[in-house]
This record gives sequence, structure tokens and C-alpha cells, in this order.
Amino acid sequence: MAPFLEMRNIVKRFPGVVANDHVNLTIETGEVHALLGENGAGKSTLMQILYGLYKRDAGEILLQGQPIEIREPRDAIAAGIGMIHQDFMLIKPFTVAENIIVGLEDEAGPLLDLRAAAHRLTELSKRHGLDVDPSIRIENLSVGVQQRVEILKLLYRNARLLILDEPTAVLIPQEVESLFEVIRSLRDKGHSIVFITHKLQEVITVADRVTILRDGKAIATLKTAETNPTELARMMVGREVLFSVSKTARKPGRPFLKVENLHVTDNAGHPKVQGLNLEICEGEILGLAGVDGNGQSELAEALMNLRTASGGRVLLNGQDITRATTATRRFANMAYIPSDRRQVGSVGPLSIAYNSILGEVAKYSRAHFLLDEHRIRAHAEDLVKRYDIRVAGIRLEASKLSGGNLQKLVLARELSRKPDVLIVEQPTRGLDVGATEYIHAQLIHERDRGAAILLISAELEEILMLSDRIAVIYRGKIMNVMVAGSVDITELGLMMAGIRTDHPRNVVDNAE
Amino acid sequence: MLWTMQNRPPLIEKRLEPNDSPLVIGGITVASIALAMFLGGLLLLPFKVNPVLAYLSMFQQSFGNLKGIGFTLVEATPLIFIALGTIIAWKTGFFYLGFEGTILIGASVAAWVALWTNPGGLTGPLPPVLFFPLVFLITFVIGGLWVAFVGFLKARFGGNEVIVSLMLNYVAVFLVNYLVSGPLRAPGDLPQTARIPDATILPFIIPGTRAHVGILVAIAAAIMVWLLLRKTILGYELIVSGLSPRSARYGGINVGNRQIMAAFLAGGVSALAGLVAVLGVQFRLMDGISQGTGFVGIVVALLGKLNPLGAIVAAILYAGLSVGADAMQRQMGIPSSVITIVQFMIVLFILAGDFLRYYRINLYTLARQRTKPQPDQSAPGETRSNDGN
Repeated sequence: MAPFLEMRNIVKRFPGVVANDHVNLTIETGEVHALLGENGAGKSTLMQILYGLYKRDAGEILLQGQPIEIREPRDAIAAGIGMIHQDFMLIKPFTVAENIIVGLEDEAGPLLDLRAAAHRLTELSKRHGLDVDPSIRIENLSVGVQQRVEILKLLYRNARLLILDEPTAVLIPQEVESLFEVIRSLRDKGHSIVFITHKLQEVITVADRVTILRDGKAIATLKTAETNPTELARMMVGREVLFSVSKTARKPGRPFLKVENLHVTDNAGHPKVQGLNLEICEGEILGLAGVDGNGQSELAEALMNLRTASGGRVLLNGQDITRATTATRRFANMAYIPSDRRQVGSVGPLSIAYNSILGEVAKYSRAHFLLDEHRIRAHAEDLVKRYDIRVAGIRLEASKLSGGNLQKLVLARELSRKPDVLIVEQPTRGLDVGATEYIHAQLIHERDRGAAILLISAELEEILMLSDRIAVIYRGKIMNVMVAGSVDITELGLMMAGIRTDHPRNVVDNAE
Repeated sequence: MLWTMQNRPPLIEKRLEPNDSPLVIGGITVASIALAMFLGGLLLLPFKVNPVLAYLSMFQQSFGNLKGIGFTLVEATPLIFIALGTIIAWKTGFFYLGFEGTILIGASVAAWVALWTNPGGLTGPLPPVLFFPLVFLITFVIGGLWVAFVGFLKARFGGNEVIVSLMLNYVAVFLVNYLVSGPLRAPGDLPQTARIPDATILPFIIPGTRAHVGILVAIAAAIMVWLLLRKTILGYELIVSGLSPRSARYGGINVGNRQIMAAFLAGGVSALAGLVAVLGVQFRLMDGISQGTGFVGIVVALLGKLNPLGAIVAAILYAGLSVGADAMQRQMGIPSSVITIVQFMIVLFILAGDFLRYYRINLYTLARQRTKPQPDQSAPGETRSNDGN
């Protein structure tokens, strides 16, 4: 029997780049097929071609042995191919059922038959173990359930092949486990699943086969039962990869940055940080674990006064800096690596040289008002060399740097000041393995030098690997602070979901 | 229908990154001017004149003799000041549009200060070395405060500078209206001030022409703005605030404060456009002295790609077209509006030409689409004949 879907010799060129270079991919009926590769390897491009969002330059697509032409998502859906993007496309004030039949009205005639739809949805949901109530509003659902709604939407449209683009990025560990169960159950009922990821463990856990992409080429297709993470990593990166960072035990110093009963609201005025207490010591990395959107960004911004705290205090080395401006805090040797390196951490249209002095122009001046071009250039050259930023020259615009090199530039600028306090938000989001390794090593180096580091990350692995202590944030409050070695993943996941466990060790009371 | 995939690039393709080479930008500018003049030439045909000769005589009027050059420079001076104000404000992310208002404020202040020097006035006659620095300084400061107020409203209360500044234009218009019909009105039929004393008139710089010292001040100001934006800490902070307010705040820059400073500088330099109108051309304050210069100056700044030195070139080109158009109307009876159309087409084409920096047009594909007969083009015709049967 012909495989469910075959992509043969797919080529897609963008000006200056070959995103897919004669890629072959075969997906059998009833298999989970992982698509593994670093950012920019061509995974998403390949799937967007399959889903009709891009037009391929060459190659062919066969559905059950028959060539088909997919020019837009509508064609893909008609062929039984559905895709779930990283950002869900759901309308928040609408119910599950309303969201699912949006766009299908013309087939159903002029009148909506919500009841029939809801009936069929309940049945589908039950059959696949999705456990979704069609009458509930999207805004009342957790991210994990919203993702199941997206899956249900595809099933309702009779999709037989489901493409999931980095589906675990937004989930807590427990939600990941239940997603995997849904995926396995779909496979057992004869659906095919393409699972795009760059996480090796997920591939081994959930996929039957894996195709590794690197620089636009399909390197290999393997059975997951016959491979291991080390081999996959080597194929994905093209060299041997170290899985751990070498971190020596270090006794943390005295508490250096203290946050007391901090309250911060977001732009819409909703409270995001609600009475948060935290202490960061000299020479330690305090990891802040939590699902995105629980007040991490607002906390980081309030610590630099990029967002004004609505209550509480921030103490730097015993001094109250709650009212101090961003410039004052920088002057007091606080540094910040923001999560948005393009919109906040750098100024895209300016050169690397000018970006290297952002936040400390006054240090590179003559006569107190002129820019000292000579010293600016020397500083930028020095950063490029010392921090291994791979660029053609320091006159290049920052917007033209790759994510990894731009992040290294931001990191270099902030670290070269030898900060006492370093706030780091999502330092390796979207970076390849090499740049990630490098940035982790630099953070450890800063910690050993004695900096007090707050590490905010959505990657649990990163937090576990780097932190000396781990704090869990949920709805703007610290659930618990634990010594890194004693952490139990299940327990951590529960706390990220807001469920307090009575753990006897190292519990810091944070009662309301 | 059989549809085979053809491996040709799409007709219009987005470039991976915008093409910023001087060749492309210069090429777009030259092509825009040529295209605008060609289309303007078509508009000249009904007047039974040879467009080429008309354009030649036009440039002859504005650049071909000393007197014409004088007029061109006089026209260009206020445009440069407004363009510089636009550049400072817009580069800082402060989209001020109320330069008609600042011209009127500048003109009022300059006329008022000049009238001080009448015998019996506030100061009495002043020597030029004292008077000219004084009038430039006072006009700059009051014009600056006028715009800084808008900057303050934006920084402190989030007021929209576009709307506030356009509304303030009317305030300025009626303020001048009030001044020339009330407190500063000279005896006589017309609502205008008295002629300013001869000693307060800007010195002429080219004998036999109307060109006055204002153009030198404008060029000096352009160089200073260029130095400010390129070489100083303040300039760096203004530009970062304009390019990315979030990055600026992250870098410890007080963006609101910098926008107020930019507003002050922009207001000051653009008020000088009103000063040169009074002290260099009209010699008195009257209604309607701004004549739309406040908007044309913005266009000039855009033509100069928001570069202070580019603005000088753009202002002189633009002024030359205006002077030539007036002369053409006088001598050949061709409405000067034809040239106004050409002026604005140039701007339109240059702005539209930016498309080519971001997109590539594949002429090869275009040629193949043209020459290759489409297989189903005959189909609709057949259907129609079938309907006839």
C-alpha cells in the first residue's frame, strides 16, 4: 500500500537561501513522525508548503500515491491535512463549538446548527479522549485545553494528517504528558501526525520515526526505537554536543537584591505581579520557573523600572531603589537581558557599534557631549572578539544579525560592564545548540564572578541545569523556592500549575 | 483543467532585505523626476508649447541668471528651516505637522522685536551686531516653547502631536489675525504692521539680487543639525528614541524628555522660517505670510530623505521649480499649477519608488507572460458564441 503522504525532492528557495534542498519525506498511515532540526533548518517551511502557505519551487507531493496540488490551506484541508500553529487561532469570547464551526458556515446553509455541531464535537472529543466541553468559552480554558480545541477543530474537518508546530513550547510538564497521550490515541485510530520540534527527548518519547533536517537538507529518517538522543543531537547540529554545563558548587553570598511585596500591572491595568517576595544572593543563579504570562516579564521590567511598580519595594544592597529611574539602576550596576532582543535589547537600524553603547553612551564621549567614535569602535571590536560574535564588521546593522549573534551582542554589552545584578529573560529562546551552550557558559562565569543573577526562562531544562535555587511563579506570586538539587519535576510542574504541595524541604513561606 | 507548475519566479517578489545601495536610491530619485517631468510635459501640450523648451526656459529663469538664482535662494531659505525642524522632530519619533503655525509665531515675534527698535520703541535703535543675534535668539526660543508645549502634552499625557499641532495652526493663524488688526496694526487700510526699520532688514548677500543672509544661516543650521544628529550624545539619544522607544527606555534614556527637547529644537529652527519671511522678504507682518510653506517644508524634508544636507539640495530644487513656474506663467501664460503638479508628482514617485527597495520585479517573467498565449484565453469567446447558438 502506498504511504499516506509523500513529499519528493521538495525545493524552496528564498532570495539568497535554499530553505528546502531536495527534501524527501514519507509519512505512513497511523504513525507519529517527528521533524527535528534547529531553527532555520527548514522544518516549518517544509510543512508550510504542505499546508499551502508557501509555493514550492520544485518537487512533488503524493497523497496515497496520487500527485496532488496544494495551492492554499483550503486545498490542504480538503485533502485531509491540518496544521496547528504555535499561536492558536481561536476567538477568545466565543465558545469551543462556535470557534470550531467558524469558517464552515457556507457548507451548512444559511442557519447555524450549533446543537448538531456540539453533539458531533462531544462525540469526537469522547472518542479521542480529548475531554473538551463544546459549550465553554475559550477565555476560560488553559493553554493545554485550547490546544486540544485546535486538535478537535482539525478532527471536525476530517483531517487525517495533523501537523503540530512545536506544540510543547507553551505547556507545563503535565500538559505535555497528556498531549502525548492524545497523540498516541490518534495514531492508534489511524491518524498520522507530524510533530515539529527541536527537543530530542520528545522525539524519543512520542514519535515512531524521525526525519532530521539540517541547513535545508533531510539528513536522515530513523526509527526512534533504533536511535538515541546523542545520535540525534549529532545529526541535528552536525557535531558532538555536550549535554550538561560544568558548574562548580559555590556558596552563595549575602542577599543582594530584595523584592518585597511587589505589585505590578500590565498595560491594560490588570494586576500581573501580586505581592511577590524574592531574594537573590551574590554569586547565585536564581531560576524563575513558570508558565509564560504569570508575571515574569512584568517582574523583570519592574526590576529595571521599565514598568512602574504599583506597590512594594525593591532593595539593592540594602538601599531602596523602588523609585530609581532605569538610568540610575544601570548606573548602580544592574544589567538586563530582555526576552525581546530585536525590539528592546537592540536598535535594529543602528550599527553594531552604536548598539554596543546603548545604555552607557556617556562613557564613550568627549567633552561631555560629543560621541567618541574612536572609543566606540574599539569597544565594539573588543566585544565582537571577546564574545565570539560572528559578523562581517561592526558597521553592519543590528537587524541583519542572526538571532544567535544578536543575542551574543546584547549579552556582551551587558556583561562587559561586570554587573552586580543581572536579570536575564529567555536568554536562549530560538537559538541553536552552539549559541545556547555559549550563553549558558557565560552565565555560569558571571555567577562565579559573584553576580546576583535572576534567570527567567520558559525552558524548564535550562532552569534546572543552570540554577542554584529555583523559584516557581504562579499568577504573580512565588509558590515556593527550592534548592536546585532537591527538585522533583512532577512537583515543580504541579506548582507551575498553581497546585501547592506540602513539601517539607526548603519551603519558603509565602503565605498571602 | 490541467495546471502544470511552471518554475519561474513570481512577477513581484519580496526582497530578503531592503536594497539600500546609493545607486538604487539615486536611481529612483532621478527616474522619479524624469517621469514626473514627462507626465507634466503632457499637460503642457494643450498650450501648444514644446515641453522641452518650456522646461529649459523654466530652469533658465530659476538657475540661469543671477537674479533668478537670488529668487530661488530666497524661496529655498524658509523651506530649509522647516525641513530641519521636520528632521529633528520626526527622527525623534515626534510627528509634528504644525509648521504653518511656527512660521506665523516666528514671523510675529521677529516683527515685534524689529518694531522695538523704532525710535520710542521698547529698546530704541540697536546696532546690527546686537539686533540680529537678539532677534534670532528670541524667535528661536519662543518658537521652541510653542512646539515644546505640544511635546510636553505628548510626553506627559500621551496627547497626539499630529492632531494637537494641526489644531495649533489655527490658533497661530488667528493670533496673527488679532495682532495685525489690533495691537500691532499700522494706520492705514490694510490689516498689517508698520514696515520694519531699514536697519532690521536682513543684509543682501549677492549684489543685484534679493538673496539675503538668511540662506547662509539656513545652511549653517543644516550643518549644525547634521552634527547634532551624527556626532553628539544628545543626537544619539534622539535617534534611538525615534527608532525604538522601547530600546531607548531599556538603555536608560528618558524618551519623553528627549521628545520635548527635540520639539523645542524643531520649533526654534522652524520659527526662523517666519523670521526670514518678515526680515528678508515682506518687511512687515501680515495675514497669510506662511503661504503653505510649513507643509511644503515637510515634503522637502522627505525628498531629502530626512538628511539635513539632502534637505538643502531638495529645498533649492523645489524652490527653483516654483520660481521657474511663476516666471513661466508671467511670460508664456502657462498656469504655474502645471509645475505644482510636477512638484508633487516627483514627491509621490520618490515615495512610491521605495517599493523597489523592498520588492524585486522580475522583468523576465513579465516578458514571458506577455508573449506566451494563455491556453484558456479562447475559452470565454467560445462560450459566448455557444450562447449565441
